[in-house]
Amino acid sequence: MVSKRFVLKRLLLLIPVLFGVGTLVFAILQSAPGNPCRIILGQRASSQQIQQCVTDLGLNDPIWVQYVRFLGEAATFEFGDSYQIAKGTPVREVLADKLPVTIELALFGQAMGIFVGIPLGILSAVKQDTLTDQATRIGALSGISVPIYWSGPILILLLSTYLGVFPTSGRIGSTIFLDNQWYPFTILGPDRFLPAPWIGSITVAGVTLPFVEIVQLTAETPAPLTGMVTIDTLILGRFDAFGSAVHHLFLPAAVIGIYSTALISRMMRSSMLEVVRQDYMRTARAKGQGAKITVMKHGFQNALIPVITVIGIQFGSLLGGAVLTETVFGIGGIGTMLVSAIGATDYPLVQGTVLTFALLFTLVNLGVDITYSYLDPRIQQ
Amino acid sequence: MSSTEESAVDLPLSAWLRPRVRLVVGAAVVGVVAGVVATLAFFLLVHPDDLSRASARAFSLAAIALGFGVLGWSGSIFAGRGFEEMQRHLDTGTDWTEADSRRAMARISGFGAGGMVGVIVTTTVL
Repeated sequence: MVSKRFVLKRLLLLIPVLFGVGTLVFAILQSAPGNPCRIILGQRASSQQIQQCVTDLGLNDPIWVQYVRFLGEAATFEFGDSYQIAKGTPVREVLADKLPVTIELALFGQAMGIFVGIPLGILSAVKQDTLTDQATRIGALSGISVPIYWSGPILILLLSTYLGVFPTSGRIGSTIFLDNQWYPFTILGPDRFLPAPWIGSITVAGVTLPFVEIVQLTAETPAPLTGMVTIDTLILGRFDAFGSAVHHLFLPAAVIGIYSTALISRMMRSSMLEVVRQDYMRTARAKGQGAKITVMKHGFQNALIPVITVIGIQFGSLLGGAVLTETVFGIGGIGTMLVSAIGATDYPLVQGTVLTFALLFTLVNLGVDITYSYLDPRIQQ
Repeated sequence: MSSTEESAVDLPLSAWLRPRVRLVVGAAVVGVVAGVVATLAFFLLVHPDDLSRASARAFSLAAIALGFGVLGWSGSIFAGRGFEEMQRHLDTGTDWTEADSRRAMARISGFGAGGMVGVIVTTTVL
C-alpha cells in the first residue's frame, strides 16, 4: 500500500522542479541573441514599428517585471499567444493540438521497449551464456549504440522504400478521412440513438468533479477526440482507420523504441541474474516449485524495481528523441515545432513547451516512484 | 528513518531553521554583492549606453544560478537516497551524499536569488 504522505511529498516536490525549470528557461531565452519583434515583423520593418511591437509585448519592461509576469503565467499555465510559429494562437491551444502527437509516439516507443525489452531480458537471464543470451546481448548493445538519426533513415530505406512494408511518413492513410461523427450511425442511420457511458461533470461546493453517466448518443453528438490517432479511431469505432494508424506509427515507434528496448532488456537481464542467485529463489526451487513459476512468481517482481526506474528516466529521452523522429518521418508533433520556436525566438511557445515537457517528465517519474514503492514498500521509508 | 531526520524531529523549529536560514542568507549576501558587481561590469564594459540590457544580462546569469540550484536541490531530494544506495551497492566511495548535495544546491539557489536582488537594486539606484 502506498502511503498518502509519500505521494503528497512527491507531489509537493513538483513545485520547486517546475520553478527551477521555468527560471532556467526564462533566463536562457533572455540571454539568447535576437529580438523577437525583428523576427515577427521581418527585416523590412521600421524602427518605429519594432519599438511599438516591443512595447505591445511588454519586452520594454524591466527584466524582473517580465520574470514575475512569466512566473504568474506559468503558475496558471497561461503563456499568452505565440509570437511567430502559430501567430496569435494561444500557446495552450497549440500545445493541445501538437502534444498528443508526441505523447502518442513516445508511448508507443515506450510500449515497444517494455513489451519487447522485458521478455528479452528475462529470456537472456534464464538462458545465461547460451546462444539466445549472446544474440540478445549483441542486439541490445547494437540498439544502445545506434543513434535515431541513423536508424530512422536506414529503416525507411529498408522497410519502406525497398520492401514497401511500411509507409514512409504521415500518421494515417491519405484516403482515410476522420471527422468526429460516430461510425455506428452510418450503419444504424442518423435518426437512431445508442446508450453509452460518458464522462460528465458535477459541481459540489464550487468544485467541479468528473463522473460517469449514461447518455443517449446520436449522430449529432460530437466525439471527444484526444488528438492521438490510434485512440481517436477506436473512440469513433473506425477499426480500418485504427489499423492504418498503427501501420503508420509502427516504424517511428520502432525507431524511437530501439534504444529503450535495448536498455530495458540489458537492465532486466542483469537485475534478473542478481535476483536468481538470492536465497529465497533457491528455497522456492528446493521446495519443489517449477523453474518457470519460481522465476515469474518470485523473481520477476523483485527484478522489476530497477527496470521501472530506467523506464521512467527513459520517458524523458523518448520525448527528446521524438524531436528527431518526427522530423525524419514527417510527423507534425511538438518536437519539430519546438525547434522552429527556438529559431524564431518565440518566447511564449518555447516556455510553454519546455514547462509542459518538464511537467510530463516529473509526473511520469512520480508514477515510477509510486509503482516501485508499491512493489517494495520499504522504499517509502 | 535516518539519524539526521530523527534529530530534526527532536529539535525545536527555531533551532532546526537557524542553520538552514544562515546557509541560504549567507550565500544570498554574497550573491547580492556579485549581482551589483556583474551589473556594473556589464554596464561599464559591455553595454555602456544601455543599462536595461546590462541589467538583463546580469539578471539572466543570476536566474540561471537560481534555476540550477532549485532544480538540483529538488533533484537531490527526489533521487539522492537512490544515488547513495547505488553507490553503496556498487561499492564506489565518492563521498557524495544527499545531504551535502542539498546544502550545496541551497547555497547556489541563495547565491542566485541574492544576485537577482543585487541586479534590481543596482539598476534602480543607477
